[in-house]
Amino acid sequence: MAAASRTGTAVGRPVKRVDGVAKVTGRARYSGDFDVPGAVVGRCLRSPHPSARIVSIDTRQAKALPGVRAVLTGADVPDVRYGRLCRDYPVLAQGVVRFVGEKVAAVAADSVDIAEAALELIEVEYEALPAVLGAEDAMRPTAPVLHPEKVEIGPGAVAGHHAELRMYPPIPNVISQLTLGHGDVAGALAGAHRVFKHSFTVPSVHQGYIEPHTCVVSVGADGIVDIWAANKGPHIARAHMAVAIGVPENRLRFNPVYIGGDFGGKGSLMDTILCYYLALAARRPVKMVMTSFEELTAGNPRHSASITLRTGLDRDAKIVGIDARIVFNAGAYAAFIPGPTLHGYSELAGTYRVPNCTIEVLRVYTNTVPRGHMRSPGSPQVTFAVESHIDMIAHELRLDPLEFRRRNAIVEGDLTPLGDRRRHMRCRETIDAGARAFGWDKPKALGVGRGVSIYEHPSGSSGRSTVLLTMGKDSRITILLGAPDQGTGFHTMAAQLVAEHFGLSMTEVEVAQGDTLSTDFESGAGGQRLTMTAGQAIADAAGKMKEALTALAAERLNCAPSDVGMGAGGSFSAFGTTVDLKSLVGWAASRGKAPFSAKGQNTATQPDVTGFVAHFAEVEVDRETGQVRLRRMVTAHDIGTVINPILHQGQIEGGLVQALGQAMSEQIVLKEGAVITAHLGDYKLPTIMDIPELETVLLPGGVGPAPFETAAIGEMSNVAVPAAITNAVFDAVGVRLVELPVSAEKVLEGMSEKAHAA
Amino acid sequence: MRSLKLAVNGTPVVREVADNRLLVDFLREDLKLTGTKESCGVGVCGACTVLLDGNPISSCLALAVHADGGQVTTIEGVAEGDRLHPLQEAFLAHGGFQCGICTPGQILAAKALLEANPHPTRAEIQYWMMGNLCRCTGYYKIIESIAAAAGAK
Repeated sequence: MAAASRTGTAVGRPVKRVDGVAKVTGRARYSGDFDVPGAVVGRCLRSPHPSARIVSIDTRQAKALPGVRAVLTGADVPDVRYGRLCRDYPVLAQGVVRFVGEKVAAVAADSVDIAEAALELIEVEYEALPAVLGAEDAMRPTAPVLHPEKVEIGPGAVAGHHAELRMYPPIPNVISQLTLGHGDVAGALAGAHRVFKHSFTVPSVHQGYIEPHTCVVSVGADGIVDIWAANKGPHIARAHMAVAIGVPENRLRFNPVYIGGDFGGKGSLMDTILCYYLALAARRPVKMVMTSFEELTAGNPRHSASITLRTGLDRDAKIVGIDARIVFNAGAYAAFIPGPTLHGYSELAGTYRVPNCTIEVLRVYTNTVPRGHMRSPGSPQVTFAVESHIDMIAHELRLDPLEFRRRNAIVEGDLTPLGDRRRHMRCRETIDAGARAFGWDKPKALGVGRGVSIYEHPSGSSGRSTVLLTMGKDSRITILLGAPDQGTGFHTMAAQLVAEHFGLSMTEVEVAQGDTLSTDFESGAGGQRLTMTAGQAIADAAGKMKEALTALAAERLNCAPSDVGMGAGGSFSAFGTTVDLKSLVGWAASRGKAPFSAKGQNTATQPDVTGFVAHFAEVEVDRETGQVRLRRMVTAHDIGTVINPILHQGQIEGGLVQALGQAMSEQIVLKEGAVITAHLGDYKLPTIMDIPELETVLLPGGVGPAPFETAAIGEMSNVAVPAAITNAVFDAVGVRLVELPVSAEKVLEGMSEKAHAA
Repeated sequence: MRSLKLAVNGTPVVREVADNRLLVDFLREDLKLTGTKESCGVGVCGACTVLLDGNPISSCLALAVHADGGQVTTIEGVAEGDRLHPLQEAFLAHGGFQCGICTPGQILAAKALLEANPHPTRAEIQYWMMGNLCRCTGYYKIIESIAAAAGAK
């Protein structure tokens, strides 16, 4: 690994995680690990039909079972609809079910065994209704409409510039239709030397966090509702819950918990609201843990997509325009994502100079499992299409795929395909650095193929952070944060940033996560923003704290604050006299002026700094069986300052292997609307045996939008991996896969078709 | 119900348990040892790995009564007081975890490996650890951590 960039007293150092000892000793408590006195177990009865009317539900026998504390159906809970933007999700089915796995009834009981026995005693009569499973089918004029009633939309349904957004347009089952354009695509394609058109399909995959969705809700006698929930943004979750259940936010306390993996999937309330109503009915705290079966069949997996691209080229094989149509299958409810659609479109062909571009993005209801967010939502789908399409064009033009990419690469000063201006365009440098390390031009053996895939993503996104720094009497600083660390190392990086601002060692800084009553609004993790927004808030608080310390130093040294300079290690001096931080704070404490606190805030908009990544894959294909073996990969990243090399590399390796799953083995398989890959034996997450030899290349000298020139890494590593692998498969055996994942069957079939055609 | 006698992390335990009580529920709920995690529930992911007489088992598939008379080691029993086991130190120093939910299982599986084979090759580490899924790290740093711990022993 080529090391990059600056190292300070704390920033840039491979310090151990602040939550590390708790995690390696089993002391870290996740939502399911809290022993809430008197808690009983909540479980759900789910629909076996993709679309049906509920004729009747008989819960009498279930209610009579000893140990059952409450049984709820849609009739027993308020008919509210909630969601992160589109409020279409009921607490329990209200008369109809729209997917296999929809919650129809719920039980609170003294044990899991009793709860499951009670579920079996609930009798539901259904009248099956026509279901629609595919997104294109759902848009036909005769398609059954999933949500004929008007869906309420929360704040935030805004299109960016160059865009027109229509929520619930008059096309059956369409949630959102976004059209974007820059330049004159029709003219460009009409005048192009060659136009290429290809279509791609990307199935749904699960986030694969090892901790299932878990929540515990306890309604206190004082009116405070205590919640322990695996949620990456507790303040946002609280706001949505308050709207849905009609309890003010200041009575909802989301308590700090460790989160056992998120990857974008833990931003919704999932079962928390149902758990609240069960707790009210049972008059006891209730704990709900989704089974792995429920997670895979009724969680909120990545949107499946179909994508068609048309690209025009001039005589020099330079892109003159791209027209794209993206259809996302959202499943039965839109509630699980915070925006009208997935942002993947905004980076479509962002690595290329595209003077004219139009994109249409449709997000569509079907009678299948509701889809949610996963690590760079929409981008892996769109980038698989773009980077396959670019490769197909290069091969049709008999150009080297790397050279074709370099020729069209975006450079500093170019507008993005959608006409945005971004700084720090190191696309070609990233490609070249990766290609050198990979040995793109080196000879290769028969049956071995090489592929490349590239991706661009702005470094961060909009959000709001608040932090509170408290300087103790002993000059140690405590950082109070409102966001959990879902595994990225955010808490550790926050401590490093604070240490760096004051020249302190890591042992002098402590991190605490507050609950939602003791901390101010915090957007939480998402869109690669948290280290940036919280980093800015930390810088804000540190600046205020330094001002306060400077004033104290001036008082101590009998001079004006403007005479005081701050030196290394937090010492203050004026006119040749120095006072170190420890004795200054000690002096202040003796006068009752310490401990003291400083609050920092930051509201960030989308930064204009961007980043690039280039992945290179080498595969070997067995011509007898079609089996693809991934031999090695090189991943090259254009980065900012690295706060912690262990955490940074962890994001790269973890994202890359997650994407290997999407490329090689993972797929939510649906049969007649039901997910049939329903346990981890059938749904194949990558194992330790599946990882290739990997080399990481980091481009030094990068810049970033956050303090100390730091930049985002979390969504850079996973997005473009699948196309690098399928492009390598094509290079090896001439078989083009336009649908993920790669399988031996598909490759073998492709080889056999080629043999027949020849 | 049966009477169960076993040692958990070296401490003798005598309890009445239902015949169908899973070991993972016995540890987490009856003994409040919540360091052991349950995820897939079908013995695939390895999150619930504990050692029974030194051998790694999936506590989500084992009945509590299966451990009768045995020695069970959970993550809570790996460190000696405040002194971390070399594997715990190595996972910390090499970034062998992120969210940490699979880590108790990873460390116990690795502990059994190093007891059976103190100096495993990279391939031997991968083969042994195949049954422990991790979604955060991409496994590279888990291999590094185990190799480092083996070197340190």
